[in-house]
Amino acid sequence: MSAKSCELRTVMVMNISTKSHEVAISVRNLVVDYKNLRAVDNISFEAKAGEVTVVIGPNGAGKTSTMEVCSGVRAATSGVVSVLGLDPKKDRGKVNSQIGVMLQDGGVYPSARVHEITRHYCNLYDNRTNADELLESVDLTRQKKTNWRKLSGGEKQRLSLALALAAKPRIAFLDEPTSGVDIFGRDLIRNIVRQLAADGCAVIMATHELDEAQRVADHVLMFQSGQLLANAPMTELQNETGQRQTLEDIFRNLAEKSKSQGTQ
Amino acid sequence: MRIYISQLRQELTVMIRNGEQLLLLVVIPVALLVFFSQTDFLPTGNENKIDFLLPGILSLAVISTAMVSLGIATGFERSYGVLRRLGTTPLGTRRLVAAKISAICIIEIAQLVILTVVGLLLGWNPSRINLLQVLVFIILGTACFAGIGLTLAGRLRAEMNLAAQNGLYLVFLLLGGIFVASDELPSTLSKVSSFSPSSLFSGLLRDSFNNTVVLADAVALSCWAIATCTIAVVSFRWSD
Repeated sequence: MSAKSCELRTVMVMNISTKSHEVAISVRNLVVDYKNLRAVDNISFEAKAGEVTVVIGPNGAGKTSTMEVCSGVRAATSGVVSVLGLDPKKDRGKVNSQIGVMLQDGGVYPSARVHEITRHYCNLYDNRTNADELLESVDLTRQKKTNWRKLSGGEKQRLSLALALAAKPRIAFLDEPTSGVDIFGRDLIRNIVRQLAADGCAVIMATHELDEAQRVADHVLMFQSGQLLANAPMTELQNETGQRQTLEDIFRNLAEKSKSQGTQ
Repeated sequence: MRIYISQLRQELTVMIRNGEQLLLLVVIPVALLVFFSQTDFLPTGNENKIDFLLPGILSLAVISTAMVSLGIATGFERSYGVLRRLGTTPLGTRRLVAAKISAICIIEIAQLVILTVVGLLLGWNPSRINLLQVLVFIILGTACFAGIGLTLAGRLRAEMNLAAQNGLYLVFLLLGGIFVASDELPSTLSKVSSFSPSSLFSGLLRDSFNNTVVLADAVALSCWAIATCTIAVVSFRWSD
């Protein structure tokens, strides 16, 4: 780890403790193992209400595993995870009623129709949204009678996002929300993500699309090989590395420094 | 209750919308009942063909619904990530399982009514049936075959699960005392068949249609039901 990235970590920790936004997720020393593979290696971070925390890094870096542990889908091997002050595994019922999850692979019955599945998801929550309004917000009103399997890639993503929002969530876990989405769909999803944060929701968004991440991020978690290369507010990252640097430049620099340090 | 009803409606909608499911659950049992009751292919002895066939076809319908239909649907739901996504909602495992079992029961009631009406039209004599006993064994059979279906669905990849469920369905169909009584099979097959859950189940239903019961068979089917449900619960995986 380079001196600069170590500084970034320190700055971030200080900033977290001084920010006024409520901590929605607290992760301490999280480890996730799969048989012989350590997918997440002793990471710690916090995510706050009213902020978009983007999670970036190469495939297999530990992004999805971390999000799965935080959303209660997967158990941690070790470490302490607190979601809205609750244990996402032990208090799953309470946590699930306050979070919305958008999976990478949809998770919808292929024969289910758009309005039908949206209404079903709305019915699963006490604090639920109106299905028609939800579909209107993701511009799928015209497709309400279409089967999931007949939707385009972008439409599937927008429906999947809508299902994650059925709960009016306090935390939204969005895994690759703009993957395969056209330019207008991206604008729409970006606006929804920003609005969620403006309404006080903690948005945790994993993505490979760094330009998209840069546009919406308040806070950045950079993963590599199961560890955090950086854990800092977007503005801090840019101040530390230079305002002209893109998130992609920052990631490349940190990854190379980490790699060269590892080989020394 | 709202959550359970919504999930039940979703289960039924998905099940009914699949054409192959309707074929498996209604069309095939009715077609087999009509075809074999009108032909002389089966060794039914002196027994009236429809009296022999109806309990066998009813047991086949239960196997189709509780094992094949539930098992294949659950396997694909796991593969598509449907269960994983539902696991992040307030639905919960209990309501999900309750909704699935309720959907199966509703389909089985519909099958029972349709097959009974078709049986009556084909000359079945209902005078000796013990309806309560039939219902008890259908519940026991449902538990047993749902356990088998969920065990396969919980461990195998979706495509392997599909093949395994259909293969096992064929074995139960041919060797399970449904069309051919176990004692009519070659001796080795007969011994194997007599211990199979499908043979026990179809035999118990056939007994119930004649208002009799073999207690040892009822105990054996109960053991199968407990074993398969236990294995399903222990081995089940909600996501790949």
